[in-house]
Amino acid sequence: MDEPTTPAPVIEPGYTFGTVTDKISSIVLTRPTSNGWLLGFGVAFLVSMGLLYAVGYLFLRGVGIWGVNIPVGWGFAIVNFVWWIGIGHAGTLISAILLLLRQSWRNSINRFAEAMTLFAVACAGMFPILHLGRPWLAYWLFPYPNTMRVWPQFRSPLVWDVFAVSTYGTISLLFWYVGLIPDLATLRDRSENRGAQIIYGMLAMGWRGSARHWARYETAYLLLAGLATPLVLSVHTVVSFDFAISILPGWHTTIFPPYFVAGAIYSGFAMVLMLAIPIRKFYGLEDFITDRHLNNSAKVMLATGLIVAYGYGMEAFMGWYSGNRYDSFLLWNRLHGPYAFFYYLLLISNLAIPQVLWIRKLRTSPFWLFLISGVILVGMWLERFIIVVVSLHRDFLTSSWGMYYPTRWDWMTYVGTIGFFLACMFLFLRLLPMISIFEMRTLLPEAEVKAE
Amino acid sequence: MSAARVNNLDLMAPPVVKVIQRRMVILGGVASVIVIVGAFIQPAVFFRAYLINFMDWLGICLGSMAILMLRHLTKGGWGMIIRRILGAAMRTLPLLALLFIPILFALPRLYPWARPLESIADNHLQEHLRDITRSYLSLHGFILRAVLYFAVWGALVFLLTKWSYEQDRPPLRDNSSRFKVLSGPGIILYAFTISFAAIDWTMSLDPSWISTIYPLIILIGELLSALCFAVLVERILADYKPMSELLKPEYVHDHGKFMLTFIMVWAYFSFSQWLIIWAGNLPEEITWYMKRLNGGWGFVGLALVLFHFTVPFVLLLSRPFKRDVTRLVWLAVWLLIMHYVDLFWIVEPNFSANFTVTWADVSVPLAMGGLWLAYFCRNLSSIPLVPAYDVFATEVLEPVHE
Repeated sequence: MDEPTTPAPVIEPGYTFGTVTDKISSIVLTRPTSNGWLLGFGVAFLVSMGLLYAVGYLFLRGVGIWGVNIPVGWGFAIVNFVWWIGIGHAGTLISAILLLLRQSWRNSINRFAEAMTLFAVACAGMFPILHLGRPWLAYWLFPYPNTMRVWPQFRSPLVWDVFAVSTYGTISLLFWYVGLIPDLATLRDRSENRGAQIIYGMLAMGWRGSARHWARYETAYLLLAGLATPLVLSVHTVVSFDFAISILPGWHTTIFPPYFVAGAIYSGFAMVLMLAIPIRKFYGLEDFITDRHLNNSAKVMLATGLIVAYGYGMEAFMGWYSGNRYDSFLLWNRLHGPYAFFYYLLLISNLAIPQVLWIRKLRTSPFWLFLISGVILVGMWLERFIIVVVSLHRDFLTSSWGMYYPTRWDWMTYVGTIGFFLACMFLFLRLLPMISIFEMRTLLPEAEVKAE
Repeated sequence: MSAARVNNLDLMAPPVVKVIQRRMVILGGVASVIVIVGAFIQPAVFFRAYLINFMDWLGICLGSMAILMLRHLTKGGWGMIIRRILGAAMRTLPLLALLFIPILFALPRLYPWARPLESIADNHLQEHLRDITRSYLSLHGFILRAVLYFAVWGALVFLLTKWSYEQDRPPLRDNSSRFKVLSGPGIILYAFTISFAAIDWTMSLDPSWISTIYPLIILIGELLSALCFAVLVERILADYKPMSELLKPEYVHDHGKFMLTFIMVWAYFSFSQWLIIWAGNLPEEITWYMKRLNGGWGFVGLALVLFHFTVPFVLLLSRPFKRDVTRLVWLAVWLLIMHYVDLFWIVEPNFSANFTVTWADVSVPLAMGGLWLAYFCRNLSSIPLVPAYDVFATEVLEPVHE
């Protein structure tokens, strides 16, 4: 835990403007498509075809192919929705909040964290729509003038979700794209291939790098960061309202909003590390994504994990303190009911194991960090499973108790979205600069024009 | 070079602190006499106000401790400049431990669970209390837990203070890593202890009501009031050396940003609690808000929405406002008052169905505040305002270049 007074650098010494640009842009422009990339993308693409198959069959037969039924009407679909949207939180947190907090170490991980956010939100968005039963009527969720006298129930948090998630998706996309523009221009200028020049040129929207361009760019970027900041909190807050607004034990508890947000950032950083660690290894980017990034991300995980632990503790305590028989039963059911195994697994993977992050050595060890991040992602998935399924399967009426078993279609859809997510990530790594070139250049000693 | 003099700058607190201290002793003393007389005439009224004030001043003390630990973890000039102010506020803990004792003598007056069960008219409540007083809200448990909380806080204050003193005199030793090692677990300990203290001391005034976010609302209120208090002290000191040489607009700007963050978090927590309870509309929960939205209390609630959040939020969006301590201080004072109103709104409706302000709500703040502030001033003037030998102090000790 002891820390030296000068932390590890965010970028290893010896780089200049030119070498940074070369190193990052060459991954996209000159480096040949490796066999490893082809294999990885191929597998991910195949798995995402499984998603297509599962969704196709769902359209044909309806949600009956899933394990959802009364009493558990919200099965894998909602569990996965919350899990994915949570993962999507790290991107905006890193790019917007850390930007406003002037944490320059973010510069080397913000680009792919934002890309990850977009793909995670895309995966998340699929689930509620598929869960509708008639996905082709999803546009009914929006309030638009129509002759059917259909109007959304604005007191329902499910409607707020539509707005929260679609706003989040839009702003994240804009933020990511605006941040990409100067780098797209770099790719345009450096590309030898006519086709690539045209495509990157169109995407760069005429960026010339003039002082006026930069001034406007900075303003736009800061404004978008300001807009994105409340969204980091609002999206998962609204997701938590989906549960907390009801009166079901285990759902109706006031701590849900901050507890969900902390959990989202927790799992988001776990996913960032799970991606960053292999990427920096395969592409030799250890100089740009340094131990400092691993250490800082691990600290964020530790802190948010403790907030999540506080949430568990407070919820359990209040269940006992209130003396409410339904709340007490929920606690009992979690600890001794049919899903108790998963609850203990959740406690181990979400609360116990991450405490090893107090040890500095593990915070900077890529191997262990990768492993712990994986455990956290499993733990956070289990948390949503416990919240959704355990509360629903035994509610107030004993006569309506039941069990929930996911079917192979549930699994196929879930695993399929992971494939889709990874396939998108592979494409992103191959086609766009995964690290912000010009923001990295600002971290170099060369960039310090005036000595303050 | 003595510890108190760096760059030809006397780092001890200016004489004005002593003047304030003397005035506060007089104010606190006179008000205390009135309050003690009043307490014998109307003990019920007195103890309610006493509890609110105890929570308010305790909040500034503990909030200062928490911000101080946050500073040790994150560094930055914003924290170094107010470090010793926070430290002086934190070291008022012994006084607050002393002030807690009278509450123990008024438990049945304040807390329904401390009364004989037979005296409770409501059957459901009586049944509930029969269970809860056996398990958690027992007299012994209440006292034991209070001792535990004060022991934890006392230990944290002791260590933070001891290591800070060490940095004032040679031999030079860098305590920043020790501070860091303590502060991580320290913040966690603070969060857990203040949560349960909030449940014990204020939430249990209505023993059938629960809200899992409630302790966090108390916690964020403590951070906010502690920061606002530090800004107030910083403003007073800014007219005199050494603070006039050291305080830079950037630090004030950061303090303003913290104020903005804290009021937003306060609003976020408070609104979440309200929305979830309103939507659930369960009899054991909504009654808490029914009491606080009727009988004139609704206006207090509305005032909190407007003046604890909306207006300060709009003001704090302005960059020049945040950078100017002479303007920011007014908002800090205002928020200190609003925090008191918030606690008043949380505690008082448990006792009176209609909005009332009594003599105690005016005089107890003067009495307790006077004594607390005098103690604070004594703490503040006892050691230099900046720990000159801290390795990170040099950044702050650079004089302002105009």
